Amino acid sequence: MAAKEARDAVGEYKAGWHDPENATIRFDFGLSEQVVRDISAIKNEPEWMTEIRVKAYHHFENRPMPTWGNMSMLKNIDFDKICYFLRSGEGTEDDWDDVPEDIRNTFDKLGIPEAEQKWLSGVTAQYESEAVYHSIREDLEQQGVIFLDMDSGLREYPEIVKKWFCSVVPYQDNKFSALNTAVWSGGSFIYVPKGVHVEMPVQAYFRINAKNMGQFERTLIIADEGSSIHYVEGCTAPTYSTDSLHSAVVELIALPGSHIRYSTVQNWSTNVYNLVTKRGIAHKNAKIEWVDGNIGSRLTMKYPAVILKGEGSHAEVISVAYSGKGQHQDAGAKIHHLASNTTSKILSKSISKDGGRGSYRGLVSVSPKAENCKLNVVCDALILDENSRSDTYPTMEVANPTARCEHEASVSKVSDEQLFYLMSRGHAEEEALAMIVNGFFEPFTRELPMEYAVELNKLMALEMEGSIG
Amino acid sequence: MDAASLYKSLDEPDKADHLWRYTPWKRVHPSGDLSEIPSTAAPKLTLSCLDENVALIGISIEEGIVGAEVLPESDEVTSSFIRAAAGDSVYTLRAENNFVASSPIVLDIDTGDSPCAIHLALDIGRHCEFELITQISGAAPWTGVLRSGRIGDGSILNDVVIGHTDSGTLLRVDSIAIGRDAQVKAGTVSSGSERTKADLRYKMGETGGHLNVLGSILSASKMHLDHHVEIHHDAPETFSRLDWHSACGGNSRTVGTGMLRVAKGARGADAGQLFHNLLLSEKAEADSIPELEVSEHDVVGCGHGTANGPVDDDQMFYLESRGYDTSEARDALIAAFLNSTLIEMGSDTLHHWLTEHLQDELNDLKS
Repeated sequence: MAAKEARDAVGEYKAGWHDPENATIRFDFGLSEQVVRDISAIKNEPEWMTEIRVKAYHHFENRPMPTWGNMSMLKNIDFDKICYFLRSGEGTEDDWDDVPEDIRNTFDKLGIPEAEQKWLSGVTAQYESEAVYHSIREDLEQQGVIFLDMDSGLREYPEIVKKWFCSVVPYQDNKFSALNTAVWSGGSFIYVPKGVHVEMPVQAYFRINAKNMGQFERTLIIADEGSSIHYVEGCTAPTYSTDSLHSAVVELIALPGSHIRYSTVQNWSTNVYNLVTKRGIAHKNAKIEWVDGNIGSRLTMKYPAVILKGEGSHAEVISVAYSGKGQHQDAGAKIHHLASNTTSKILSKSISKDGGRGSYRGLVSVSPKAENCKLNVVCDALILDENSRSDTYPTMEVANPTARCEHEASVSKVSDEQLFYLMSRGHAEEEALAMIVNGFFEPFTRELPMEYAVELNKLMALEMEGSIG
Repeated sequence: MDAASLYKSLDEPDKADHLWRYTPWKRVHPSGDLSEIPSTAAPKLTLSCLDENVALIGISIEEGIVGAEVLPESDEVTSSFIRAAAGDSVYTLRAENNFVASSPIVLDIDTGDSPCAIHLALDIGRHCEFELITQISGAAPWTGVLRSGRIGDGSILNDVVIGHTDSGTLLRVDSIAIGRDAQVKAGTVSSGSERTKADLRYKMGETGGHLNVLGSILSASKMHLDHHVEIHHDAPETFSRLDWHSACGGNSRTVGTGMLRVAKGARGADAGQLFHNLLLSEKAEADSIPELEVSEHDVVGCGHGTANGPVDDDQMFYLESRGYDTSEARDALIAAFLNSTLIEMGSDTLHHWLTEHLQDELNDLKS
C-alpha cells in the first residue's frame, strides 16, 4: 500500500488520543508493601496470592536493575512516579452496551467490537488495570473452554491458578517478573480441555489511558492434551510527555500433544517502557509458537521463551521489530531443549530508521541429555539511514553432541537493485521502499490473522513515509 | 597511572558482559585473589626462521617498548593485569619497513615452569611481507601474554599464534591495529593448557584494511578453551572475516564469542563471522556467541553464523565404504574439519608445519 494511502487510513500514531480520566479507584504514585496488600485486598484475593505478591515485592526491591541491555534508558524509569492500580469501570461486562461510554468509544475506535463479530472466538478488553469487557462464544463455553480475565480466573478457578501460577515464570526470575507478580492486575486466564480445538483466535486488547500509568497484566494459558488455541493480543496507549510502564508476565503450559500460538502486535506509544517476560513450557509432542511484532514503545525488552520439556516438542518464534526515532527494540527469543528429539526455529527481522536501534538478543541451549535436537536461528536486519543502528547478540550453548544447530544473521541496507526494479515499473521511491519493507516482514505477517496483517502493513507503510530525501 | 594502579582501581568484571560469562576473571587470575598481582618470571624468547638458511635481517626482538605504545582496543582488566604482572618483561618485535621473508619467522615463547608474563609489542613497518609463527610452550602453571601494536600500511602479514603449554592457565590478550591497505591473516591454533582465556581485538581504523581471523581449536580431557574475538570497523572500505573451528572431546568445553562492531562512518564495510563446533563426546560442550553491532547503514554486508553438530554420519559412511575403519574415518574427518581453517592461515610451508604440529595433538586426543 502506498504511504499516502496508509496515512489516510491510519493517521499518525492513530492510537495516541486519550480520554478524560474517570477512575473509580486510583492509587497514589509509588510502590510499597502496603500498596501490594491493598491491590490484593481490593480484589479480595486468597491469602496465598497475597503472600506471593508480598514476597515478590521484596524480591523486586532487593534485586538490582539489569546490568545489560540499554541501561541508560532503564535508569530513567522512576518507580516512584508510576500509578500501580487504577480502576476505571465498575467491573467486567459481557455486553459492550454496559461498558462506560467513553471506554466503549475508545475500543470502538480501535475496532475491537467489529473484529469480535467478524473473526474472533472471544475477547477481553483491558483498560488501565482491569478488564472492562469480556466475552466468549457459547459453543466454546459448552465444550468446557475457560476464557476469563485473570482476576475472574483466580476467583472462579483458584485451584487451577494456584497450581500453575508462577510455575513457568517464577517471581525470582528477573526484576520485572517480580514487579509484575507483586502488582499484577488483569490479563487473561485460559484453559482448553483435552482434545478441544479452538478454531478461531481469541483476543485480548490492552489499553493504557492515564498518564504515568503502570499496566501489569498477567496471562496464564493452559492447553490440555491434544488441544489447540490461538491467542492474539494488541496494545496501544496515548502519547504523553511523561513515561508509562508496561510490565507483563505470560505463562503458557502446553500439555502433551497440544498447540498454543500466541500472537502479539505491540504498538505502544513511544512514552511507554515495555518490559515483558513471556515463557511457555511444552510437554511431550506439544508445540508453542510466539508470533511477536514490536512497532511501538520507547524501550522494549522482550524475549519470548520456550522450555522444550517433553520429547518431540517443538517451538517457533517469529518476530519483527521496527525501531524509529528515540526507540530501542531489544527483542529476541530463548529456547531451552531439555528433552530428546525436540526442534525449534527462530526467525527475527528488524528495521531501524531515524536513529532507532534494533537489537536481537537470543539464547538457545541444548542440555546434555537431549538427544537428536535440531534448531535453526535466522536474524535479518535492515538499517535505513545513517543515524540508525542494529545489533545482534545470539548465544548458543550446546552440551549434547547429537544436536544440530544453525544460526545465521545479516545486517544490510535496502538493495539499490530492488529499489531500481520497482521504480522502473512506475512506483515512486517511497512506495517502493514501503513495498520492500512489507516484503521483508512478510514471513511474520503471513502468520497473523489477516486483519492484523493488513493493519500491520498499513502501520509499516506509514512509518516508511518520509524515508526518502 | 601505572598498570598496577589501573588494575587495582577497576571493579571485578561483571558476568553480564559476555567476555566473562563462561570464564569469570576469578577463574583466570593466577591465585583467585583478585587484588593480588603476583610476581612472575620472564619467558625465554627465541627468534628464528623456519628455513635455517635464511638470515634474520630487518626483523628483531628488542627489550622494552620501541616508539610509542599502541594499545588500540583492549579490556582494561586483562591488559593492565598482564602489564603489571610482566614488570620488565616487555619486548618489541620490530620489522623494518619493506621487510620481506620467504620462509616463516618463528618466535618461541618458552614459559618455563613457574608463573610467567610478557608484554610483546608488535611494530610492523610499512610494506612488509612475511609470516610469523608465535609458539607459546612450557610448563608454567600460569602464563599471561599481551600482544599489542600496529601492522604497518600496505603490509601483508600472516600472523599465527599457537598455544600449547603443557598445562595450567593461559591468558592471552591481543590488541592490534591494522594499517591502511594492510592485509592480515590472524590465525590461532589452540590445543594446550588446561584453561585458556583469549581476548583478541583488532582495530580496522584505516581505510582499506583487510583482515582474516582464523581459529583451529582442539580441546580434550577437561580443557576449557575460551576465545573472544572483537573486530572494530572504524574506517571506510574495510573487510574482515572470522572463521573459527572448534573440535571438542572428552569433558572439555570450548567457548567462542565474537563481536563485529561497525562504527558510524565505516561506509563500505564488509564483515562476517562464522563459528563451527564439532562435538566429539557426550560430555563435551561448545558455546558460541557471535555478536554484531552495526551503526552504519551503507555497508556491503555484515553477517554471522554458527553451526554445531556431531561428526557427519554420511561422511563417516562414505569413508568406511572406502575401507577406513571407524576410528580412522573419524580421525580423518576431525583433521579435515580443523584443517579447513589451518589451510587458510598462510603459505604451503606454514600449512605443512601446522598440520604436522596438529597431527601430534590429534594423536593425544585419541590416547
